[in-house]
Amino acid sequence: MSGLRLRAIAEFLMRRGFLVVFIIVFLFFSVVTRHFFELDNLLNILSAMAPLAIAAAGLALVVMSGRLDISIGSIAFLSCAIGALLMRANGLSPVLAALIVVGCGALLGAINAFIVVVLRVNSLIATLSTMIAYRGIALQLTDALLVQLPPDVRFIGNARIGPIPVDILLMFLVVILVHLLQSRTVFGRRIMAMGNDISVARRLGLPVDLTGFNTFVLSGVLASLGGILTTIQNGAVSPFLGSGWEFTALAAIVVGGISLLGGRGTIFFSVLPGVFIFEMIRNGLTNLSANPYSYRLVSGVVIFAAMYADALKSGQGLRSRILRSRT
Amino acid sequence: MKRYISGAILGMVMAVGVQGAANAEDLKPLTVGFSLDTKESSLETAWVDFLKSEGESQGKTAGFKIEWVINVANADPARQAANIDDLITRGVDIIMARAFDSGAIGTSIKAAQNAGIPFVTFDRGSTSGKPTAHVGGDSYDQAKQTAEAFAAILKKAGIQGKCIELQGMLTDINAVNRSKAWNEVAKETGQYTTIVQVPTNWNPELFLSGLTNALNAHPEANCVFAASDFAFPSIQAALEKAGRWAPTGQPKHMWLATCDLLTAAVKPMEEGYIDVSTTWDAYLQAKEAVRVLIAVAKHEDPGCGPDGCLAKGRVVTPATVKTIPNLWSRDYSK
Repeated sequence: MSGLRLRAIAEFLMRRGFLVVFIIVFLFFSVVTRHFFELDNLLNILSAMAPLAIAAAGLALVVMSGRLDISIGSIAFLSCAIGALLMRANGLSPVLAALIVVGCGALLGAINAFIVVVLRVNSLIATLSTMIAYRGIALQLTDALLVQLPPDVRFIGNARIGPIPVDILLMFLVVILVHLLQSRTVFGRRIMAMGNDISVARRLGLPVDLTGFNTFVLSGVLASLGGILTTIQNGAVSPFLGSGWEFTALAAIVVGGISLLGGRGTIFFSVLPGVFIFEMIRNGLTNLSANPYSYRLVSGVVIFAAMYADALKSGQGLRSRILRSRT
Repeated sequence: MKRYISGAILGMVMAVGVQGAANAEDLKPLTVGFSLDTKESSLETAWVDFLKSEGESQGKTAGFKIEWVINVANADPARQAANIDDLITRGVDIIMARAFDSGAIGTSIKAAQNAGIPFVTFDRGSTSGKPTAHVGGDSYDQAKQTAEAFAAILKKAGIQGKCIELQGMLTDINAVNRSKAWNEVAKETGQYTTIVQVPTNWNPELFLSGLTNALNAHPEANCVFAASDFAFPSIQAALEKAGRWAPTGQPKHMWLATCDLLTAAVKPMEEGYIDVSTTWDAYLQAKEAVRVLIAVAKHEDPGCGPDGCLAKGRVVTPATVKTIPNLWSRDYSK
């Protein structure tokens, strides 16, 4: 009886490994710090993660289709740099500037798509090169200097509807829309089919190239939306905008449960918890007044724990194999 | 009598004039090749201007007429190596370079020294070869000056500081030096304590989220030290979010000390939001560089420390920010 119960617990932990790690970390910070488990602080976490979550949702679509887009940070930087420079030089209205930024994101995503889908270049190599090139162009345009937003636009960064910051509401809105797109539409099912086996999807007559093209364009659009959000939050476009997003977003969505091999995962329940846990660790360690050098270590340990749990769930972990051999 | 006096005055004027002309002709030409890694911002423009003006004044005093040959590598280490080869071929007297790649500049240092040309690294040192001298900024002293001035300001205001420290990238020696100096002064003066250290990796997004988190976790905090103010809009956004964005003299004012006083921080300091900063001083670095170049040209020991000849910053407060001379972040901002 007790053996069966232990096995049931072990199987539960394997199936929900990330959730378990998530809850442990959350409870730990809630118990040992004074201000972590307060509404204002939880809203701070959600607000801080909003730009990355939106960009990660776009990346998740590409990953689900079995490809990678590591240029999202550079797309965010370049498109926002163009928008901010136009606002500064020509007094462009914020709304028009935002539309131009999103248009730039779509265009830059389309360039990625062209290289991957039409020129048949591996998506990692293609977006690695555009990641470098886009950032280079943006640095050239901005002279590697901070481009500050006009003072009358700055207030948007701290705007609220009731007690909830607008950036959090925007994040939920965008992520839910992308979730519905992935889970409830033909386009979403084609993405998953591509991720499961692109050659089979192609043989079945699915428009693989068009679907792949559109995922990169969407990824570019969402990266630029994330860029707009972080620009408004910070009140400026900095040369660091989006720097490292690609890897944090990738880690977050994989930790959240989206397979790097494609064809598995959901947007809402993978992207949001995945991004949340990274921001929660940073926030919790600050609440703990932890040694600054410990941040990377703790993040690394949590990623490892969540990934190992994911590997066990996928039947790739050593323990999983041992357990299976016993049954 | 008048004729004699007029003649004497005329004679004296002519003598001074001839002497002056002779002095100008006596100045020894000194050609300095300056290899810049990039020329993308107003900082490089300010450097070149300050180097030229200091070269003229210090050079004249030392008996040199300094001619500058400047080339730019456009952020390409291979281009920089080729540019320095050009300077060697041209036969300049001294080469000074701001390395794009500290690890790659060693090859150029060796090539110059093989050609008998002294090599001075500027701002960014070499990790791959020993130059004749290095000139840069003194990040430790910069934070020390800021911290000491800040402690004095707090003391005068009767405040015991409980500070949030926004650190830079922990692998950057400048960030490490600044944190060290800030906390040493805290111990020495006892005027403030660091209640939380927030790593930012020099990333403005982390300045914002880190300071927001810290303010939430430590509502008792009444001061902030930023290891650099290049990302000041993010600091401002965090303080606005926390309802602590108020100039000095107001009850909600957060006492603020920074390093660098870069472009983004000039206006907030003028308006009284930043209480003290120490400049990352393009002018003093250029001045020190010219002093070192002249010493090298004279085959004298420039008297550098183990880390090179490091220019100190200048303490700036809201009272002095508009008047302090040669402040590049104010005078060269776009």
